[in-house]
Formats: sequence, structure tokens, C-alpha cells
Amino acid sequence: MNKIVDNIIAEKGTSVDAAIPILQAIQAEFNYLPEEAMQRVCDITEISPARLYGISTFYTQFRHKAVGKHIIKVCVGTACHVKGAMRVYDALRRELNLKDDEDTDSDDLFTIDKVACLGCCTIAPVVQIDNTTFGHVEPGKVSEILEEFLASDDNPAGENSYIVEQNKHTDGEIRIGLGSCCIASGSSDVKLELEKSLKANKTNVEVKQVGCVGICNQVPLLEIHKHGETPYFYTKIKADEVNEIIRKHFKSKNLLTRLKTDISGFINNYVINGIPRSVMKYSSERDDTPVSEFLNGQINIATEHRGFLKPNDIVEYKKLGGFEALKKCLTQFSRDEIIDTIKESGLKGRGGGGFYTGLKWQLVKDTKSEIKYVICNGDEGDPGAFMDRMLLESYPFRIIEGLIISAYAVGANKGLFYIRAEYPLAVKRIKEAIYYCEKENLLGDNIMDSGFSFDMKVFEGAGAFICGEETALIASVEGNRGLPRMRPPYPAEVGLWGKPTLVNNTETFSVIPWIIRNGAAAFSNIGTENSKGTKVFALAGKINRGGLIEVPIGITIRSIVEEIGGGIPNGKAFKAVQIGGPSGGCIPASLADIPIDFNTLSEAGAMMGSGGLVVLDEDDCMVDIARYFLAFTQDQSCGKCTFCRVGTRRMLEILNKICSGKGQSGDIEILEKLAHSTKKGSLCGLGSTAPNPVLSTLRYFKHEYLEHIEGKCPTGKCVELIEYLIVEECIGCTLCAQDCPTDAIAFKPYELHIVENELCIKCDICRQVCPVNAVIIK
Amino acid sequence: MINLKINNTSIQVPTGTSVLKAAEQIGIEIPTMCFYEGFTNHPSCMVCLVKDTKSGKLHPSCALPAEEGMDIITEDNEIISARKEALELLLSDHVGDCEAPCRQACPAAIDIPKMNRLIAQGKFDEAFVIAKEELAIPLILGYICPAPCEKVCRRTQVDEAVSICSLHKFVADIDIEQKNFYLPTKEKESNKNVAIIGTGPAGLSCAFYLLRLGHNVVLFDKNTEAGGALRYEILNKELPNSAIDSEIGTLQNYGAEFRLNTEITKELFENELKKGFDAIVIAMGDFDKSNLHKFGFENGKYGISINKNTFEINQDGVFACGNIIRSRRMAVTSVAQGKATAWSVNQYLNGIKPEKKHRMFNSKFGKLFSEEIEEYKKETIPDKRIILENGKLGNFNNAQAITESTRCMRCDCRKPTTCKLRNYADEYSADRRKFAFGERKKVKKHFQHKLIVYEPEKCIRCNLCVDISTKEKDTLGFSSIRRGFDVEISIPFNKSIKEIFNRTAEKCANACPTGAISLK
Repeated sequence: MNKIVDNIIAEKGTSVDAAIPILQAIQAEFNYLPEEAMQRVCDITEISPARLYGISTFYTQFRHKAVGKHIIKVCVGTACHVKGAMRVYDALRRELNLKDDEDTDSDDLFTIDKVACLGCCTIAPVVQIDNTTFGHVEPGKVSEILEEFLASDDNPAGENSYIVEQNKHTDGEIRIGLGSCCIASGSSDVKLELEKSLKANKTNVEVKQVGCVGICNQVPLLEIHKHGETPYFYTKIKADEVNEIIRKHFKSKNLLTRLKTDISGFINNYVINGIPRSVMKYSSERDDTPVSEFLNGQINIATEHRGFLKPNDIVEYKKLGGFEALKKCLTQFSRDEIIDTIKESGLKGRGGGGFYTGLKWQLVKDTKSEIKYVICNGDEGDPGAFMDRMLLESYPFRIIEGLIISAYAVGANKGLFYIRAEYPLAVKRIKEAIYYCEKENLLGDNIMDSGFSFDMKVFEGAGAFICGEETALIASVEGNRGLPRMRPPYPAEVGLWGKPTLVNNTETFSVIPWIIRNGAAAFSNIGTENSKGTKVFALAGKINRGGLIEVPIGITIRSIVEEIGGGIPNGKAFKAVQIGGPSGGCIPASLADIPIDFNTLSEAGAMMGSGGLVVLDEDDCMVDIARYFLAFTQDQSCGKCTFCRVGTRRMLEILNKICSGKGQSGDIEILEKLAHSTKKGSLCGLGSTAPNPVLSTLRYFKHEYLEHIEGKCPTGKCVELIEYLIVEECIGCTLCAQDCPTDAIAFKPYELHIVENELCIKCDICRQVCPVNAVIIK
Repeated sequence: MINLKINNTSIQVPTGTSVLKAAEQIGIEIPTMCFYEGFTNHPSCMVCLVKDTKSGKLHPSCALPAEEGMDIITEDNEIISARKEALELLLSDHVGDCEAPCRQACPAAIDIPKMNRLIAQGKFDEAFVIAKEELAIPLILGYICPAPCEKVCRRTQVDEAVSICSLHKFVADIDIEQKNFYLPTKEKESNKNVAIIGTGPAGLSCAFYLLRLGHNVVLFDKNTEAGGALRYEILNKELPNSAIDSEIGTLQNYGAEFRLNTEITKELFENELKKGFDAIVIAMGDFDKSNLHKFGFENGKYGISINKNTFEINQDGVFACGNIIRSRRMAVTSVAQGKATAWSVNQYLNGIKPEKKHRMFNSKFGKLFSEEIEEYKKETIPDKRIILENGKLGNFNNAQAITESTRCMRCDCRKPTTCKLRNYADEYSADRRKFAFGERKKVKKHFQHKLIVYEPEKCIRCNLCVDISTKEKDTLGFSSIRRGFDVEISIPFNKSIKEIFNRTAEKCANACPTGAISLK
């Protein structure tokens, strides 16, 4: 073991700031952090045991106990939460026979873990086993998922590319989105099948792997572009349907295969006929399709060339105007002119705080120092948000370009990408993109012969929401626990290693090249009086068309929900949107006509935050939503300030009390007062915004709190306040009895079934399997 | 230099000065817990919050740099309420007893653990000083007290209570045997005269404390001998007359004058007592309560009606305590009332409106969990309780007293007066139960180090000890682990506290704002 650790240290270094990378490498090797390895690190590096131990227990990525062969991560992000993630988690625990204090099964095959957000909100609830992601998981289907995973264990989905023979005329192009959600929805399998099929048919078509298309609700999605023909979208494709689609659009070059495919195609069609098909085909010219409705009303600045750009193709990026902005900056603009342009554009930081980007740049530029840093904050941690992941995965060059421009403007020569380790694809694509940029002299010494030199590297965050806060992020890069510190001094003056440091959010960097190319006015023409440009939102929850959207600031909540998102599924009523994640709040449907900008949202008790937008319907309990976010923030608090460390826990306890029917009069008042004190008495943004979900639900949905105190959960979400009941519609099919994990329903074929409430654990499986909706919640 | 205003006072400070330090310069004291000289930018406790009037926001003053033109307020309702709430949150996560349960249960509030420790060290005379501090008649009560302290003694969860009652009797006996006849130094003579009617436990106790406060005391009793109920109601075989005589003798030596065989009539009361004395204390337990109205006393449900906080009755300068206000089973209650009455009388004599003596804030927690019993056993001996043949009449020999007192588990905090959490909780009248929603954490105690004791559940996570041991490069030092509510100041790699501190242990104990790290 020592040898392995020594090799890791030889690569990562022995200084204090190497602590996190060293621990990550050790864990990658052993799947956890063996104590012996930790000791070894302390013995031969400058890192003290106190520090190493402090770090390894601070970040959730690190495990101190050996784990099973496979790791099951149950996403408990907001979108997954409202779609029943906890029931899935409980079902998996039952399936694995885990006792209360265990997380690994007796065969050491699976270890189960909850994760804050996998960023696949549109296919919630989501479970990830090792690198395979399962979407739309139902508690009753968990055993099938485990079986399916074990069966396909030797056959992992890859990202290998099918390469068209160079310089050959192609018959067309097939685009497939390969963002993380797409892959989770089976896009990799579709792509493999596509390549197999193309090869077999000898079809000369280019398969182009593009970034996130944004229409996450319709994936896997294929776009077929054929010379001289209207492009077509195919949505929700399954791998076994690929061959047929190909055959329809492209004639096989191989006569024999063509015959064969014709015959088997005929048989296939014959067999498939009559079975409802999930695949839908839409022409790109029609505007009443789900795809076009979803795309209408969006403006693509951060997501420019969406669904078209191949993420790691620098040639294509350049062809489409990439790095022109950088060239312009290096050759035509003075540093002040760049900063003035950004100031004039009115751009505010997209990470949540909403500070003017131009001003921030100015501060860093004005601070005198030989060494300065710029950092791209990609530590997106909001449960229910995946904008940064999608931007990093899909537009790595654009973000790098924005970063180089900022570095030039403020006079920094070193840059850093801080990206969550939970986003492996984003890390990989950014690393690749940095490599290409270095090769093309877009990074390194004397960029484009301008005399300006700039280097950058990637730092992988180890799992701590608080590290999205800039001073905590810096602490973590320096090899510390991610504790925020008092500002002032701001990082613009005293930042990384005490040097002036510019920290901007991923989305902020991604709009910079566009602003430079198109001018400040083009950007400031979009938006409202005090908030300019566009904002990327992750639209998820109870919505027909969830996905990643970029909309002009000032759009109303209603347009997003009803027009872009296509309204609420299953005819349910729209109740509220949760905007801004754990720092944000719930805005009720009655205020859906307010135009969204930084000010209106905070006036309404929410926050732009980083852009999570989770839609809630009539079935969602607002007390439960408040409790959900409090549970998140109290878990993610760094534990420094009293109000955040203890206060959020006490608020959570009060909410637990209320949700379990033990609430008393007076609890709401204590909760509200504590929420206000916590807002006032916390040092950083996490603590001072943590009470927002509580305060906003108290503001708009106080009656639900009061009903809980009276012992009723009006939406039937709080398990301790509800009972399951089977009504007369029951046809006696026994499905509920078969699936009930606790035998709370006895088999009574063709008779009315009865739930024995003493045994019922409220897993909801009976209600989900009942074919005639005879199971109700009382 | 920077110009700013604090509480409307203009002040000039060098750049880089914190608002806390700036306020200090003009004599404004702001409470701090996590602040320690030499460690800047360390805000975590949020007890030092102040308000920036321009933004209306609260900031921790210890880390807030003074800025040109700042206008700071260090106290208003919002600030006080926020500080109080911060303290209440800290208290909700602070498991420890400021004072031991025995002391809290004792009506007279003797510092029992301290007395026990002194006995255990063989310092019997010092132990007697502690007993006498709060209990005027430790010998008498040693015979007859039903000992509520022993009922709550945490040792009962291990085996049996420590024989506290017999221990204070033991030190009182030693005092007499060795002819020390210890008496506390009196305060400056006031030349005020107080008449005390009745020489039972309440009267004797009241007399002792009034004498100590510098007043002259005359005790009246209708009987031929002093002692009241102690002598005339309790059987001699339970409480020998020699014990009563001995403690009354001590009181006489201290300056008390006894006028026996004196029945208090209305005339005597009005003509002699009211005119001849500056204050009167009615402390005769067995007075016929139907006669009270003759004296013009207001008769309440149980006896003379009094102000519960001050023991004043409806006549100026007249006080009442003991069974005449309400019949109680325990003599120690009367003793405690006598002491409290002396406190009120003293204020009255000094021309101050009497107020109840403030009882310091006490953090406390209930029964020990079984795991915790093991922690408490670390600081005691396994010996069983020593039961004397004659029970309370019996006497410990020195060795027995030492063994018995060593059985004490030291439930009291090691920093009862220097703990900032206690002092501020007291100052801000914090409610320790306000946020008691969750399951309480389990007490752990680390004793291995020769100088310090570490009790993690008293910690407020200020991290000063981590910073001190890191900055001064101690062997290993503490490590701050985990995050959020689960942050803990822990000892890395399952080592013992002995192995991690070499030089900074003492400094950490002194810097620690609570009793989490304390000197042994």
C-alpha cells in the first residue's frame, strides 16, 4: 500500500494544497481511504494528521470505510425528492436487506449512498450504480434495476466515436446529444446501435455527437440532417429502434445487407405493429411540436449553437466564431475597454449573488500585484440545478475563452477550473479542451503572439456545497476545509494564496465571448431595467417538458411553465415554483406573472440563485419542501457560525416535528424568529439564505403549516400524518398484495383488499401498481 | 487612520483595527466567546454581533474591520435578541452541569463537590469552610437532613449516593474536635440591630448571616433553651443536644445575643422590638397562627403572608421565614430561608429596596445514559458506599471520609466562574430549553493528559484550540472534523489526548471559552 501511496504523492506533490488531490487519488485506487494510507500521507508530506483528517471528514466524496463492489447513488435532489426519491431509497435498502446502521449489503456487492444531486433532474427519480444511471425509477422496480445492472455489468456504455472515413462525401449527418442526462436516458446505447447499424449498412453518414440539447425530457434524441431535406427530430428513441430509422432515411450501399435489412425490417415491423411506440418523429419546420415549443422563446447566448456544436471539436468552434472575441480583445481592445464593455452590458454574476461582473473585474484589475488568479466556479451544488454541468460538458471552449479574456482584462496569468468531482464528464471535456487550446497556442506563453501568457488547470471539488461560496472555494483549493471567511477583504483584493483573485461562475464566463463579439448593447437590450441578458435555468419537477433553457431575463414564470415547459402533467394544478434551490424560495402560482429578474425574485422571497427551477403541483406539501431544503443546508453547512451550524439543525427539528404531527402552537413562531436570526447572524451566503425556503413557504403557505399542527397534511405527503386505504373500485387483482414489501395487504383474489395500517410503511408501491386507482391516501 | 462612530461617539483608529477593538478603546465592552487575542478573523460564535446603521445589518465585531465613516451601534433590542438567540442555540448543544445536581438540589446550595474534593485531599478544615459558607449549622443538619442532595447524586446510577450529609457532619465534628471553631471574617460593622424571634433552624441561620454581614443580632425565644424545633420537636436520640449546644455556642462566639424565656407579646413587639431595632425577623416556627392578626400581620394560606422573593411582610422592616410562613418538612429549607432573609434584611438596612438574591444561570441535563455512566466512572473510585452502623449518628474516621468523598464523580464544571457561555447566558437571561428539540449528545470525558480534561459535549466549536495547537506547532493537536452540526473537535487517528499535546495544552484550556477544555 505504501508504494501506491508514494507513487500518488510523487505525482501530486507533498505540499499542503495537494491534500485533496492526494485523497482523491487514494480513493480512486482503494474505493475508500484506508487509515494506513492516510498515515503514510502524513508521514511523508507536509500535511499534518489534524489537517488531513479535518479535510477527509469535511468533504462528502471521501469514505473512511471499505465499500461494496458497486456503489448505488440515490439522487435526492429537489426534482427527485418531489418525485419520491426517498421511497426509492427505502425500497433499495429493503431490497438489500440493510439494517439501520448499515450501508453495504452482506455480500459486499452494493453500497448505498444518498447524493445531493446528480444533475439529471428531468428524468427523476434517478439512481446511479457505478457509471450507469437509471431514470424514472419506481420503488416497486428496484429489484429489476439491480438485476439489469448486474446483467450488463460487463458491458459498460462508452463514449467511443464512430469515425467516418475522411474526405469522403457524406450523405448526411445524424446528431445525437451526449450530455449526462442523455447518457442516463440511454443515448450511449442508441449511439452504439447507430454506429453498428451504419457500419452494417455501409451508410456514409456522419454521426455527430453534440452537447446537451436541453430538451432533456425528450431524450434520447436524434436529429437527422440530409442534404436537401428537412431535418427531422426523433425523440425518446430506444436502441432497438435505431436500425429502422436509419433504414428509412438512408439507403444501404451494400445490396446484401439491404435485402437482409428489408426482410428483417419487414418482420420487425410485422411483430412491432400494434404495440404503442414511444418514438415520435417531428419535422423541424413545424412549430407546434414539443421540440419547437420548447425551443421557442429561448435565446441562446451561453448555449449558442445548441444541439449543433460538437463539444470537443476546436476546429468547429473556431469555424463558428470561436476565439474571435479573444483575438479582438488581445489585438484591438485595451484592458479598460474590455472591462467597460462588460460593465456596459450590465452583466451580473450568474452564480446567485448578482454582483456586477464588470465591477468585480475592475476591482481585481485595480489591485496591484505581480500574481493574480482567475477561477471558474463550477462547483454547482444546488440540488435541482445542472446548468454549469451542461455548459461545461457542451461548451468547454466558450468558457475557456471567457476565462482567458477575463484573465487578460484583470492581468492574471494563472487560472483554475473548480469543478465538482460528481461531474466526471465535465471534468474530462474541460481537460481535453485545455489540451487542445494549449496545442493551438490559445493557452500558455505568448497567446496568439500577443505577449500575454496564461495557464490553467482543473481542480476537482470533493463534494461540499459550501465550496460554491468563493472564499470557501479558495480555502479548499489551498488544501483546507471549505470554510468561508469574513468579507471584506474580498477575493478581488486578498484571494487565492493571498493574491487578488477573480472568481466568476461558469455561466458568467460563457456569455463573455458573445458580449465581446456582439457588443454590450446587444446584451443589455435583452432583460429588464436592472437585470440584463439571459439566464439559463434547469427546469424540472412537475412539468411536461423539463430541461435546460436559456431565456431572456424578464420572462414570466408562467411563460416558462406553460409555454416552454408545456404545463403540468396529468392535469394537476400548478401550485408553485421553487427558484434558486436551497437559497431560494417558493413562489406561488398566483405570482406566476411577475417577470423574473434579480430584484423581483428577492422581493418575492426567492432568489435567482444559480438557476434551479423546480415546478410543484397540487400534490406537493410545502412544509415538506421547506423541510427538504433545510435538511440539505443543515447537512451542507460548514459548521462555523452558530446560527447556521445549530440554528439550521434546530429549524429542521421543528419542521420534522411539524411534519410528523407533533407540532404545537408556538412552534411556528419560534421557527420564524429563528429563521430571521439565522438570516441576520450568518457570515456567508449559505447561512444567510438557508432560511429562505422556510420564510417563503411561511409567507405564502402558512395555512399548510397550521393544518399540520392540527394533525393534517393536506397533500398527503407527510407519511406520519397519512393512511393508505383501498376503496370499492378495487377489482381484487392482488397486484398490491403481491408487491407490498411488508405484507400489510393480504391476498384476496376478486375481493376488496384491505391495508393493515399497523404494518404499512407507506412506501406507496400499492398505489403505484393499482390498475384502477383504488388505493387512496387519507 | 480611520474615523468612525461607535454608539454615537467619534473615534479614530489605525487601519486594520476591528470594530471590537475600536469599541474597547472607548470603554465599550462587547461580549465575545470565540475571539482570542492573536487570532484574527475568527468569527463563529456570533455573540459579538453589532449593527452597521448604514446597512442595518448585523456583523461579528471581532472580525469586522473598522472602515472610514462607519456608524456602529453595539446594543439595541435587535442586537440583544440576536446575541441571546445565539447563546440559546449554543446552550441547546451544550451538555454539562454548571453546578452539580447535588448542589442544585440542596436548598442551601452548598458547594458539595468542592467540599468532597477537599475532604478527599485530607483538607478537612478547608472543606468545613466550604460547608459553612452556605450552611450555618452543618453539624446539626448532618444529623437530621433528609439530604435531597443524595437523592439526585449521579453516583446513584452507578451504585449508591455519596454520603454527603455525613461528610459535612464529619468536617463540622473535626472543627470542634480540633477546637478550630472556624468563623468567617465579618464585614464592616454597620451598628444596625436586628431582632430575630425564634431560635430554630431559620432563626439561627438568619442570625449567622446577619452577623457575618456586620450587623448586631438579638435572638428571642420563649423557651429556656435555644434551638426551637431542633431541641423541642426532634428526639434527642436523633439529634443529640450536644450538637445543638455546640453550634449555638459557636453563634454566641460570633456575637449573637440570646434572650430566652421571652414570650413575644403585642406590646413587646410594638414597644421594644419595633422601637429598639432597625429590623425584625419573625422566625418562630410553632406560633399559633390564629394570633397573627393581633399583630397586624396578614395571614396567608399557609401562615404569615410574605413577599416570596424577599421575605418582607406587610410591615416596614419586618421579615418572616421558616415554618411560620409555611410548614416544611425539611430543616434545611428553613436554614436556606434564614439565609435568604438575612440577604434581604441587609439590603433593607443599607437603604436598598430588597431583591431576591440572583441565582446564577445553570446549564443542566437529566439522567445519564448508560454509556455516560462509564465516562463518569473514569473520575472516581469503584468503592461501595460506606454505611456506618449507627447511620447518621455514626462518625466516619478520616480514612473512611476520604474514601467516601473520593466516590464523588465530579459532576460540576471545572470552569464555573470563567465559562463565558455561563456568564453570558446569565447576563442575557438565556433560556437553555428554548431549542431543546433534538436528542441530546452523549457526554464523553478525556482525562489522559496530565494537565487538562477534555469534554467534547461542552464545546462550542470555536476552534481556538485547533488554531493554537496548529499555530504553535504542537505534536498533533486537535483536529476539527466533519461539518455542519456534526463538527467535532477530535483527536486524530484514535490517539489519546495525552499524545497530541505537548506544549499548548494549558494555553488551550485557558483560551477555551467554556468548560470543554479545562485544567485538571
